[in-house]
Amino acid sequence: MRWWWSSHGRAHAIAFRATIKHMPKLTIDGREVEVAVGATILDAAHKLGIEIPILCFRQNYRPQASCMVCVVRVNGSDTLVPSCATKAEDGMEVESETEQVKTARRTALELLLGDHLGDCVGPCQAICPAHMDIPTMIRLIAEGRMEEAVATVKQHIPIPAVLGRICPELCEKGCRRGDLDSPIAIRLLKRHVGDYDIAADKPYVPECRPLTGKKVAIIGAGPAGLSAAYYLLQAGHACTVFDDREQPGGMLRYGVPEQALPRKVLDAEIHSIVRLGLELRPGKRVGRDIDIEDLSREFDAVLVASGEMSEETSGGLGLLMAAKGLQADRSTQMTATPGIFVAGSALSPSRHAVRAVSSGRAAACAIAQYLAGEPISGTDRPYTVRMGRLNEQEMATFSAGTPAYDRLVPAAGEAIGFSDEQARAEAQRCLHCECPGLHDCKLRKWAMLYQASPTRYRGQRRTFQRETTHPGLIYEPGKCIACGLCIQIAENARERLGLTFVGRGFDVVVSVPFGEPLAAGLEKVARECAEACPTAALALRAASAGEDTDEIEPVQAEQSGTVEGPTGDGSGLNR
Amino acid sequence: MSTESVNSETAQSTQQRRYEPPVGDASATEPQELDLAFVDQIVAEVGSGPDAVIPLLQALQKHYRYLPQAALQRVCEITEISPAAIVGVATFYAKLRHSPVGRHIISICHGTACHVKGATHVSEALRRHLGLDEETDTTDDRLFTLERVDCLGCCTLAPVVQIDGVTYGHLTPDGVARMLQDFLELQRRGVVDQRPVRDEAPIDGLAEIRIGVGSCCIAGGSMDVLGELQKALRAIGAPAVVKPVGCVGMCHQTPLVEVLVPGEPPAVYAKVQPADAEAIVRRHFEPRGFVRKLKSAVSQTVDRILTDEAWEPVNRYALDVRDAPVCAFLGPQQHLATELYGTADPLNLDDYLAHDGFEALRKCLTELAANQVIESMTRSGLRGRGGAGFPTGRKWELVRQAPGDTKYVICNGDEGDPGAFMDRMLLESYPFRVLEGLAIAAHAVGAREAVLYIRAEYALAVRRVREAIRICEAQSLLGDNIFGSDFSLRLGITEGAGAFVCGEETGLIASLEGRRGSPRLRPPYPANSGLWGRPTCVNNVETLALVPWIIRNGPEAFAGLGSQQSKGTKVFSLTGKVKRGGLIEVPMGITIREIVNEIGGGVAEGRSFKAVQIGGPSGGCIPAHLADTPVDYEALTGAGAIMGSGGLVVMDDSDCMLDVARYFLEFTQRESCGKCTPCRVGTRRMLDIIAGLCAGQGKAGDLEKLEELAIMVKSTSLCGLGQTAPNPVLTTLRYFREEYQAHLDGKCPAGKCKDLITYRITDDCIGCTRCAQHCPAEAIALTPYQQHEIDPEKCIRCDTCRQVCPSDAVVVE
Repeated sequence: MRWWWSSHGRAHAIAFRATIKHMPKLTIDGREVEVAVGATILDAAHKLGIEIPILCFRQNYRPQASCMVCVVRVNGSDTLVPSCATKAEDGMEVESETEQVKTARRTALELLLGDHLGDCVGPCQAICPAHMDIPTMIRLIAEGRMEEAVATVKQHIPIPAVLGRICPELCEKGCRRGDLDSPIAIRLLKRHVGDYDIAADKPYVPECRPLTGKKVAIIGAGPAGLSAAYYLLQAGHACTVFDDREQPGGMLRYGVPEQALPRKVLDAEIHSIVRLGLELRPGKRVGRDIDIEDLSREFDAVLVASGEMSEETSGGLGLLMAAKGLQADRSTQMTATPGIFVAGSALSPSRHAVRAVSSGRAAACAIAQYLAGEPISGTDRPYTVRMGRLNEQEMATFSAGTPAYDRLVPAAGEAIGFSDEQARAEAQRCLHCECPGLHDCKLRKWAMLYQASPTRYRGQRRTFQRETTHPGLIYEPGKCIACGLCIQIAENARERLGLTFVGRGFDVVVSVPFGEPLAAGLEKVARECAEACPTAALALRAASAGEDTDEIEPVQAEQSGTVEGPTGDGSGLNR
Repeated sequence: MSTESVNSETAQSTQQRRYEPPVGDASATEPQELDLAFVDQIVAEVGSGPDAVIPLLQALQKHYRYLPQAALQRVCEITEISPAAIVGVATFYAKLRHSPVGRHIISICHGTACHVKGATHVSEALRRHLGLDEETDTTDDRLFTLERVDCLGCCTLAPVVQIDGVTYGHLTPDGVARMLQDFLELQRRGVVDQRPVRDEAPIDGLAEIRIGVGSCCIAGGSMDVLGELQKALRAIGAPAVVKPVGCVGMCHQTPLVEVLVPGEPPAVYAKVQPADAEAIVRRHFEPRGFVRKLKSAVSQTVDRILTDEAWEPVNRYALDVRDAPVCAFLGPQQHLATELYGTADPLNLDDYLAHDGFEALRKCLTELAANQVIESMTRSGLRGRGGAGFPTGRKWELVRQAPGDTKYVICNGDEGDPGAFMDRMLLESYPFRVLEGLAIAAHAVGAREAVLYIRAEYALAVRRVREAIRICEAQSLLGDNIFGSDFSLRLGITEGAGAFVCGEETGLIASLEGRRGSPRLRPPYPANSGLWGRPTCVNNVETLALVPWIIRNGPEAFAGLGSQQSKGTKVFSLTGKVKRGGLIEVPMGITIREIVNEIGGGVAEGRSFKAVQIGGPSGGCIPAHLADTPVDYEALTGAGAIMGSGGLVVMDDSDCMLDVARYFLEFTQRESCGKCTPCRVGTRRMLDIIAGLCAGQGKAGDLEKLEELAIMVKSTSLCGLGQTAPNPVLTTLRYFREEYQAHLDGKCPAGKCKDLITYRITDDCIGCTRCAQHCPAEAIALTPYQQHEIDPEKCIRCDTCRQVCPSDAVVVE
């Protein structure tokens, strides 16, 4: 037994004395609880409603005591113990919320994250200033579900047809497919979604909450102000937009040439916002025609979104300038005056309308929280682990199953955009870097809650691998945290081959014995394993459609390669 | 959010994890048709239950020299062992191989002593010489396979390489070519085969020539010497016998020969070579005359210990036990666990019985009740010698009182610390004593079955213990109704398969049950739920070896030795930069300074004592200014180290503390079972940071980050391995922080970290050209009679030039 006795020597004596048969009574964070004999500290915490993060534990299975994010401190010991595997004992004093415990949990998460190979959200979405859910949009386009695509896009971008024409395509710079041949034409696809909605018989109207009775004044009818209005109206707050020009649109109308942005497109998308009940007050300049203090009195909140500021314009509003824009909290976007918020170029000058749209939406969230009397959390970029650049071999694995043809060019010309068929074909090129576990990954959930840094303990990147032999599952070893749940499930189900740990220590991997394919390893309990997997190392196929997406059929195999020519006639993409 | 760590790319060169199991592609690794009949045969012999998996794998590997996938699949077909179980187990243990190996296996020892004496240089030189890159271990012609071993237990011969059974010590990078040549020459002459240990009964009244047959002595060539001595005695018909004896402890002098002629003072010869045998015999059994030729001053021996040519014929010296250095080495020692050191034939039962062997067991079985035995242990103050020092009496009491009829005792002989070989020596030299202690433990706790779990590398220990069990059972000292009592005991031996973590008792038990040796959370403790869920008493080898002495001499005698809280003696393997290394048994409470200076003779001339690493990978570095710390569980823990299993590595000013910390971290992270996050990933990230510092890629904040992570790994790891793995880092950070700071600034004060040093030739150069001739990288132009120069671009910092320079003109900066 060597030296290993030491740390538990004391606990040993306690454990021996505590072979008492009555129900153990213990305290967690000072709160007393009584549990059944044999119950764990985790059970006791649940009984008290104290939440303890868990990854490797699953009810009715043998505790793994592997992830160590559920640690707690018992009786002031130097050594923390996993609550999932430690039996509750009479008289125990458990600490679950101290700084030491939290730091230990965070560090355990950070160690797992630093060795976790994958992207939570697609790089395109991470890089998009509006953090639009590009992967879902593309997936829906590929499946021809355009109404849903519109709804998806409009969660972040109220004016996709506009931005689809003038956006700087930052997302495409992040697109991983760019390393293979060319990035997905995300901007054109977004535009396609926007145009689809404009042309639709029944354009998309978001569901608006019942009116709250609260009123918000928005100064400036540019992309930031309109974006804020769109989301505030959905939240049930009445909005009035003041603008010194006659027409709404701000720089979109008065700074972008018609050639780049046809006014009928702009008008149509502005209309889609106005029809939610937006009141427009054109020809009114706040600071000249109206006093901001009056607005403050009349409205419950004021948003300044009147474009780039100067000392003079800010002075007119009675607001202070910082280095570049108005002085406001960077996270909440609120000025020193409670209830007055700033968005768009007024906060931080930018030439990109997409930033203004994003800023307007963020302000809307902050204002909604302010009006509800909640603390303003500020909108963060979506939490994500990043996989980084793949080498050639990894890319071959990563892109397997997606069509090989290069980026499509609109057959009818850039001015017309993609046809429906082309849009679908282009969308099918997407490699879908986003994680299928994005919304139910426990690692991500707790990492966000504990504010764990994905890069603090980043080590050498693992090699990307993906096992696709199983009809129902996809296995990405790089996302595995070696908790062993799937091994146990397969063992309990008496799978013929099952799964096993191969190797040990840092290099341990979960694998089917004898290098057999996953399909042979999991013949019975594939679904259970995927559901139990705390990350998406084992994930069910067909995350979006629920239909058999065994392989995405390559569109027009004979057409692989670039479809040339701005004036092409569709180039046989007639599906 | 923090900055991204980028040092990992350069820090580690381990292979990338891939999820395909290494047992992988059968067609690629199994060229010939495999005869699977052996599988059926061995299953019939070993068994087909789930617990047979490790012995089966060991037998298969012995037969096929690796584990062919087809053989494993066949095992699954005909046994209860599942594919998941066999693959999981087969890939857990380091000694199990999954691809064919070359004809000869070169095992490069990376134990602590070898490491500080340049094992890495030797390993790199071997790779260069054999044309193997980092990824390849077997030569194209399949003649040699390189294998790293964590410790061959010949620390005093460091650095050591073993090729098949042949051990080469005191190697230099420059010497590897000669070593291989020598080995192949031996091969050609057909003299390389395992020489069995021979045992001969002593004959009363006859003169005795004792020769050490511990692993160190055997590694030093004692079996050849033994043969030659017998030949020489026969040739002249001398009235004497050659007696193989256990370890003498003076491993720095191996092979040791002691000649005992009735009526004459004993004479001891050190570093005896086969060619010397005849002369030694003639000195004592023929008229004198050759004596002068042999005699030499003892002081000379000390200077010659660390030659780089020990495996070539070296001069031999007569040692007299009354001479000062020997007295200093032996003086402060007290031999309890090693009682009869150097005089007892390990496998001679009569010899053991003649020295009160099994008297303690007889007394326990016929005179004492179990609770009285336990009472004696408690009164003696004996604490577990595995390192943590749990009171033995209390542990026995817990097991005795645990409910259940079936109980087990386990002797933990999975000594895995690099740089420690006490348990190996005890098992090899005193197998009867360990068995007696084990039997007493079984009697005390109420067990009828005992298992000895012995580390895979300790082949000789396994052989001796197995033989000792056979002898004892034949004499009814073990087995049924021992000493006519109703106490019966079945003993079994299980060999480890190469996993340090199996030294942890729950890992050990998992391994015995045929599973991956991953520890589990305690409680429940093995005392309540151990092997097969039964109450189990796990004791370390040394603990058990002390038990008979305590029973025979009384607990008070034992408690009379040592310090307030740490009683009795402790065996250490004293290695590293000390003049006299070896196995020592000292009373608790002795200071580190006494051990280093008096027993060890201090560090080499011109060097200064810097620190001792005590407790191996779980221990820490105690700096010279704390050398008055006594050897005592609490005192060592207070200093940040631990008693550990007894490795004591002395370091001088040429040793880099980061290099030492990195060395131990490399070990623990490699030996991590991989179950819990802090140990599996945390130790690797700590290693990344230290490796980055050693490579001159440290970043601001690294030290703080390292310390934070170390504290977290220590407090949240599941078992003792992870909980103690940060100790080498934490102690070096505590005592040698300025050295870490220096690395952060791009300097290695000890001149050890390759990326931070340059080699230069000073004007002391005499132009002898030796450096240029020996440089493997052609970084030195050959300029006779002129000062040589090193091209820093070409220099690979292999240290060869410095070692071969006769005028100490090569300096590291």
